[in-house]
Amino acid sequence: MAEPSDAPRAAPTAPAPGEAWLFCVRAGGGRYAFDAALVSEVVRLGTLTRLPGAPPFLPGVFTHRGDVLAVLDLCQALSLPAASLGASARAAVLRVGEWRLALLADAVEGLAAVPRRTLEPPPAGSGPAAAWLTAVGRDGRGPVAVLDLARLVAAARDRSLGS
Amino acid sequence: MTGAEPVVLFQLGPRILAARAGGVERIGNPREEGASRLLAESCLGRPWVPLRSLIVLSEAGLEAGLCVDRVLGVRSVDAADLLPLPPLAAGALSTAAVAGLVMLDGAPTPLVDLPTLIREQQQAAARDARSTDA
Repeated sequence: MAEPSDAPRAAPTAPAPGEAWLFCVRAGGGRYAFDAALVSEVVRLGTLTRLPGAPPFLPGVFTHRGDVLAVLDLCQALSLPAASLGASARAAVLRVGEWRLALLADAVEGLAAVPRRTLEPPPAGSGPAAAWLTAVGRDGRGPVAVLDLARLVAAARDRSLGS
Repeated sequence: MTGAEPVVLFQLGPRILAARAGGVERIGNPREEGASRLLAESCLGRPWVPLRSLIVLSEAGLEAGLCVDRVLGVRSVDAADLLPLPPLAAGALSTAAVAGLVMLDGAPTPLVDLPTLIREQQQAAARDARSTDA
């Protein structure tokens, strides 16, 4: 398991046979994961600039390596209480479809090699994230719910456009 | 990109915001302006103490303005420091009046399109008035 760090993170190496490389975060007491290949690095969030009229899942923007990135609060996108934005808050910089963004959650756990044999279709009614789950699995740290992040981000944005 | 653009920096409640100076007709005192043509509150929030107003001209040539706490000054920024909103945020905001960002001392500051803000708020007020009448 790789530890989160401020240093640029290299793309994950190929997983061992029978393992899926996922990137894990904690949100609302749950453990969520998505394709590790989406993540380029983990950064400590500095002061955010809040945007007037922004939906709750977009708590602000910040500069990173000369680019301005939008911060997406995974907790809010999953209709959970907002993630903490304390001084030690970290976010995963990733590319989801056409969007490059920083994903904020209650905690960034990092890379996890989840045995593919543990991955199963999500059970019906798996809480607020049910609509965005592609699988549930388990590794040495416990159960993990795998998200279709692209669909979640697109849906959150569509909701804000319709509101 | 080259060239410089003057922007007006102002404080509105807890926020520091910017607007293109070329769009600001003048800086006024809310106590001396007609209250009906000033926005005391908008999607940008409400000033703690409205000591100044930024006056713009509408398409019809009429003056309208936004009450703010303080005008912090005019800064000339390089055109390269005027940035669009990140794609995820663009279009997700409830207002079209946040036209982009200005990089000031390395930090992004929302760039407000004052005429758009005032037009949006006036249209919203007109809608509210119609729904009240109905």
